[in-house]
Amino acid sequence: MSIEKRMLARELKLIAARPGDIFKPMWFLILVISMVPLALAPDSDLLAEIGSAMIWVATLLALLLNTEHLFQSDFSDGVLEQWLFLDRPLAWLVGLKLVAHWLFHVLPLILITPIAGLMLSVPTEVLIALLITLFVATPALTCFSGLGAALTLGSSRSGILGVLVMMPLFVPVVILAAGVLIRATDGSDTLPLLALLGAFSVVAATLVPIAVSAAIRLNIGGSN
Amino acid sequence: MLEFQFASLAAFFEMAPHGVYVWPVYGLGLLVIGGLTWVNARQHRQAIRMVQRNLEREETHES
Amino acid sequence: MGWRWFHQWGSPRLFYERAGRWQLVCGWLALILLVAGSLWGLGFAPVDYQQGNSYRIIYLHVPVAFLAQAMYAAMAVCAVVLFVWKMKLADVAMQAIAVMGFAFTALALISGAVWGKPTWGTYWVWDARLTSMLILAFLYLGVIGLRAAIQDPDQAGKACGILVLVGVVNLPIIKYSVEWWNTLHQPASLKLTEKPAMPASMWVPLLVNILGYYIAAAYLVLGSMRAIVLERERRATWVKELVGRA
Repeated sequence: MSIEKRMLARELKLIAARPGDIFKPMWFLILVISMVPLALAPDSDLLAEIGSAMIWVATLLALLLNTEHLFQSDFSDGVLEQWLFLDRPLAWLVGLKLVAHWLFHVLPLILITPIAGLMLSVPTEVLIALLITLFVATPALTCFSGLGAALTLGSSRSGILGVLVMMPLFVPVVILAAGVLIRATDGSDTLPLLALLGAFSVVAATLVPIAVSAAIRLNIGGSN
Repeated sequence: MLEFQFASLAAFFEMAPHGVYVWPVYGLGLLVIGGLTWVNARQHRQAIRMVQRNLEREETHES
Repeated sequence: MGWRWFHQWGSPRLFYERAGRWQLVCGWLALILLVAGSLWGLGFAPVDYQQGNSYRIIYLHVPVAFLAQAMYAAMAVCAVVLFVWKMKLADVAMQAIAVMGFAFTALALISGAVWGKPTWGTYWVWDARLTSMLILAFLYLGVIGLRAAIQDPDQAGKACGILVLVGVVNLPIIKYSVEWWNTLHQPASLKLTEKPAMPASMWVPLLVNILGYYIAAAYLVLGSMRAIVLERERRATWVKELVGRA
């Protein structure tokens, strides 16, 4: 079995051992969404208007919540050190880890957003656009929050610092996604913006793992 | 080109009707630059004091 | 041979001695320029026919806003120097610039907000330039926070370097996306490539103040760097000799 397959199998085993890790962010997302009508008004027109934006922000927060400790357990039990000795570039392994994280932790989060959409009576065509933007944008978001997690690995008192450090970098993604949602509400063409969003994700997914691997190296104290 | 734009010094400080906005901003600018200068000087003094303490400790160890 | 000056600047001891002189020169020069430029702008530049006297905030706001962005770029240059030449002094510079850069960004934000009150009737609008300045402030805060969270200075420096480099790549994207999102603001009042729309009696004092604030920033960064160098090199012989002599 190749290293890549074994890594994915290991991730699956880890999830099977602690399935709660998948459900907590989903739980958080639905809880936050339930708070919105309580804080605002149960008026469905108003909810539908801000609903997609609320879901986007809540999903962003849930994603940050479960990416914050992405490398923590692998760091403390020495798996990351073992990575240095494999005959693969560290950035490639980091990329795999991020892909696995996206598949097993972020994707479930995206798949649950239609329920949140129903709760806030978001119109169907906007909901579809919302799903597409989340699919296209979350790879970039996962990469950046992974970088935040890697940078703060070595400090015991970092708290939510990794999140705070990376959040400003999400601005272009949020703006473009919001643009898509606004156009979907109008019924105008969303494709150009989606293409830009996709381009951002692709570039982030190729370059950020390199930065993440540098951050991991410096925390392990290996030669760089 | 260099002509004082205000009738009197009092008018200059009043800067009607926007003096309340203009002067505090410049005051804050002065405060920030002055404050940072002070912080730098203090940090410098503290560093020197730290080295001095270390030196004294080394001397008492030697004697 | 041509690079000797560069490596000499990398020596903490030589830096400490030279920076002391440079700091003094910069400090006085900045003081003269800033007093002259500010008084000129406040008292002698003509009144703006649209905004009245409130426009005089420009003589602080624009230089400080320029600096806020330039210092992030300077920090990125330091990060490159740190990674390519492993020069410790670049890390010291990064640490100093982060704090000063944040201070200038905050000053730009506050002066912009106060200027907004008489101009737009409100302290804060979600306009493109205010928003990207706010995000810049958060980026600076992130760099400062990351350094504070990691104990080992070398490790903290490298982590900050990575963050700064990722940030500087994203900064133009953030800026353009925010601009696309919202374009309400008056167009940039001084662009380097275009002839400014202001009369000379207005922009000459602005230029004096821009120069003054840049030199003031150099003064502050050098001062901060000297203190940090002394702190980090406290076990070096030259520091002990220096303090022992005094």
